[in-house]
Amino acid sequence: MSIERDVVSRAIKGDGEAFAQLYEEHFDRIYRYVYLKVGNQAEAEDLTQEVFVKALEAIGSYKWRNSPFASWLFRIAHNRVVDYFRKQGKVEKVVLEDDITLVSESNPALTAERQLEIEELINKVKKLPPAQREVISLRFGAELSTAEVAKVLGKNTGTVKALQYNAIVALRKMLAK
Amino acid sequence: MGQKLADILNECLERMLKGESTEACLKAYPEEAPELEPLLKTSLVLIQTSSAIQPAPEFKAKVHSRLQAMFYARQEKVERGARIPIWRRKWALAMTAILGFLLIGVGTVAASAYALPDEPLYPVKLAEEQVRLTLAFSDMDKAKLHIQFAERRAVEIAGMACQGKGDKISVLTAQLANHLGQVYKAEKLYEITEKGTKAPAAASAPPEAVEDLKMMLSNSREKSLYVLENALGKTPQATKPGLQQAIEDIRKDYDETLSKVRGGLSQ
Repeated sequence: MSIERDVVSRAIKGDGEAFAQLYEEHFDRIYRYVYLKVGNQAEAEDLTQEVFVKALEAIGSYKWRNSPFASWLFRIAHNRVVDYFRKQGKVEKVVLEDDITLVSESNPALTAERQLEIEELINKVKKLPPAQREVISLRFGAELSTAEVAKVLGKNTGTVKALQYNAIVALRKMLAK
Repeated sequence: MGQKLADILNECLERMLKGESTEACLKAYPEEAPELEPLLKTSLVLIQTSSAIQPAPEFKAKVHSRLQAMFYARQEKVERGARIPIWRRKWALAMTAILGFLLIGVGTVAASAYALPDEPLYPVKLAEEQVRLTLAFSDMDKAKLHIQFAERRAVEIAGMACQGKGDKISVLTAQLANHLGQVYKAEKLYEITEKGTKAPAAASAPPEAVEDLKMMLSNSREKSLYVLENALGKTPQATKPGLQQAIEDIRKDYDETLSKVRGGLSQ
């Protein structure tokens, strides 16, 4: 049994420590994915919290089925984000908040610069068609492999690679302007 | 766009996400390098910028605490549930169902007594049967209820057969057999003798009560078979063989149950 499988099995049986381990392992990636999708820190925090609450409630019913735990978790995140946009009436917020927490807080200039880069990138990503945006968020925010992205989205890997290629070509054009 | 370039881009991305440089990737694909280079540079911006997005540590800690609290609350609930004896949980369930019935309306429950399997009130009928079984005070009462419900299944089989719905017959026949099986299985109706045979349990089932049960079973057999045989004349030709088979099976089931009850009593 792989280490991940062992941890997931223990979490399913109600081992709090195992669930905490899964939380630590996936929290940042879930947050990044959600942030790239919604582009707003407060909303990203609310949604990330909801994803883990949902995961805790549903973990008893998780079945391994040879797909990694991350695919299941990101499926919850994906559904939660879809719900969020549906409730918003399909209007995505473009305005970004400026209090995002960055890795390098020690250098204010760098932080401000990086913040602008993030804002710019998210605004560009938001202009992509929904399927391309989803692939970019899962590949770069969640750092999932193409196979894992395919599982989350219920598409084949060829389609995911094509969407990824088209998205990067479109972003390159946008960034060059 | 060629699928080949999409594949190469993906492979380079995998390598870059593991920390390889864009140059190393371009060297691996010299022919595609001119087209690939700007895409890899854009990808690098994506990788670097995305990785800078981090949740605030206090937010992460807050969610952790909330999940921990939820986790312990759930554990406590499970442990509390495990401490409640099964019979109390069954009673609680039955009382909830009764309340439900009262809310739905006594009339609805009464009307459901005649519902057939493909009718909306049929689930109410089955739920009402379950509640009555749960609330039965003794195994003798349960056995009598199973006989009543076996009769109900016979009426339902006749009803479905007359409507030409042969697919329901076998399911209902199996359910009828199950009710009859439960009559004999009623735990305190019999006790195991030293020889390993079954005899009436004196404490919970006095001989006259067991005689009543025998009589009830025998009457139920007559009524059920009468209803089913009567339905044969009104059943469409295509459904008749299924109904005839069901009648044979049900007759055997009743006879077997009767012989077991008599056999048990003769010890």
